[in-house]
Amino acid sequence: MSENLNEKNGGPGIPASEANGYVSLSARRQSSGKLGDAVFKGVSYAFALSVIVLMALLFIVLVKESWLSIKAFGFSFIYTSVWDPVAQEFGALPSIYGTLVSSIIAIVIAVPISLGIAIFLTEMAPKRLKGPIGTAIELLASIPSIIYGMWGLFVFAPFLSEYVEPFLIDYLGFIPLFTGAPLGIGMLPAGFILAIMIIPFISSVSRDIFQMVPSILKESGYGVGATKWEVIRKIVLPYARSGVIGAVILGLGRALGETMAVTFLIGNAQEIKLSLLEPATSISATLANEFTEAVEDLYLSSLVELGLILFIITFIVLALAKLLISRFSYKGGQL
Amino acid sequence: MRDKFTTKNLNFWYGEKHALKGISLSMKEKEVTALIGPSGCGKTTFLRCLNRMHDLYPGNRYEGEILLDGKNILEKGLDLIKHRSRVGMVFQKPTPFPMSMYDNIAFGLKLMGVKSKSEITSRVEKALKDSALWEEIKDRLHEPALSLSGGQQQRLCIARAVAVEPDVILMDEPCSALDPVATAKIEDLITDLKQNYTVVIVTHNMQQAARVSQYTGFFMLGEVIEFDTTEKIFTAPSNKLTEDYITGRFG
Repeated sequence: MSENLNEKNGGPGIPASEANGYVSLSARRQSSGKLGDAVFKGVSYAFALSVIVLMALLFIVLVKESWLSIKAFGFSFIYTSVWDPVAQEFGALPSIYGTLVSSIIAIVIAVPISLGIAIFLTEMAPKRLKGPIGTAIELLASIPSIIYGMWGLFVFAPFLSEYVEPFLIDYLGFIPLFTGAPLGIGMLPAGFILAIMIIPFISSVSRDIFQMVPSILKESGYGVGATKWEVIRKIVLPYARSGVIGAVILGLGRALGETMAVTFLIGNAQEIKLSLLEPATSISATLANEFTEAVEDLYLSSLVELGLILFIITFIVLALAKLLISRFSYKGGQL
Repeated sequence: MRDKFTTKNLNFWYGEKHALKGISLSMKEKEVTALIGPSGCGKTTFLRCLNRMHDLYPGNRYEGEILLDGKNILEKGLDLIKHRSRVGMVFQKPTPFPMSMYDNIAFGLKLMGVKSKSEITSRVEKALKDSALWEEIKDRLHEPALSLSGGQQQRLCIARAVAVEPDVILMDEPCSALDPVATAKIEDLITDLKQNYTVVIVTHNMQQAARVSQYTGFFMLGEVIEFDTTEKIFTAPSNKLTEDYITGRFG
């Protein structure tokens, strides 16, 4: 029976369709499939490349536009603290200082709170709280920064100047960081608002990382008689360490570039003061405030150079975060 | 031999799911009891009742009695932390903590309140010798535990469990992630541990149950079908289901 069938179809090994006078299906499918694949590959390749091209172009434009200022001031641009549009003298130090210090304040405040939130959500919260709190945090992340800025200026700053800052001046005034007048705007308020803005980021990324800690690892901890706190501190946190550091640096990257909320609250003063209560400025706040006024070429060029510096700082920070997170997933794969 | 662990009409629910139905059996002191049965039969669930691991997750409920040395551990007010340090556990996969080999074992000792460094060091050494790992790692105790092979990691976990001097060691398919050589080492180790500890082991491997245990319980669909000496279960089971299972007719 089977031999008969083979003969009818042109012998063994030859597809039935060919023997019937058709070109075999597989032959037809390959010819058109190849072209489609090539086109698809080319197009997606181009899309992916465009990201890198865009980055490179952005960098080139920033360098080109700031060339005037780079030529005029050289490296001294980075460490000079004079910013005098009238005299056409520009130094970026106050802006760089403000950017870094306000971001560090934000990190110092936001990290413990975010870790607390993430640990609560993964290890302690009852099921009916997990969802709502998680969603609320994600919603916080989606509020436009201008709204944080307005809230900061009209609600938060008066609150700070009336209650928090007088307290700091009275009780911690012996530390140079907390001297001056309770203005409600300045480095510390900017750091506070940044902290509020990056908490959702750090806590939701850390929560995801804590959820990746294998439950049998935690159970092993409980199995030798550890309490919840001991399991979290000695097992969960060390296991998740590099991932959490990555999350923190992602938050830092966001804090460094944040513009509107900081511009509302930092005070916009081109000077470096030790006290955190004094008005200061950041790179993005300087840019937002002064672009419209910059009519002279050198002024404009200096502002663009500030942008270039911010670009480089953020790039370094994010590259660092990527590195740490990839190391985390490698380590996590071993267990 | 005295009964170490005894359960009387133990029922257990995962939320609405009735996972254990009226389990009554006894585990003898300083003997190895094996629990066998098809996947999802409740043997791991039963094992995790013995150290109340289910209490970590909401919605679980026990009913009945679990007696450890005659004392019901399901009673309200049991110190779970203390109880778990009396009943050690080893899991399907090696679970070394993200720290050095030495610290993995010292972890439990420090929790128990051992402060003296020399005492910790000597207890770490003893635990490693008891779990036949000392010779292999004594020169690199302060390297990360994750640098060990899978079989060594699992013996480290056994050492960690042994170090706090528990009464009972629970093992949940301890060899399922290991190759045959590492498995053989763990099985030898289980036989050694029997001298000092009561061992309860869940296994999918019937030869393993036959090799290491003195008593065997056969579970199916949340019930104990048969419980007897290992010899009896594997040579002359009294229940047809047990016979079908151990001869490989299902499961």
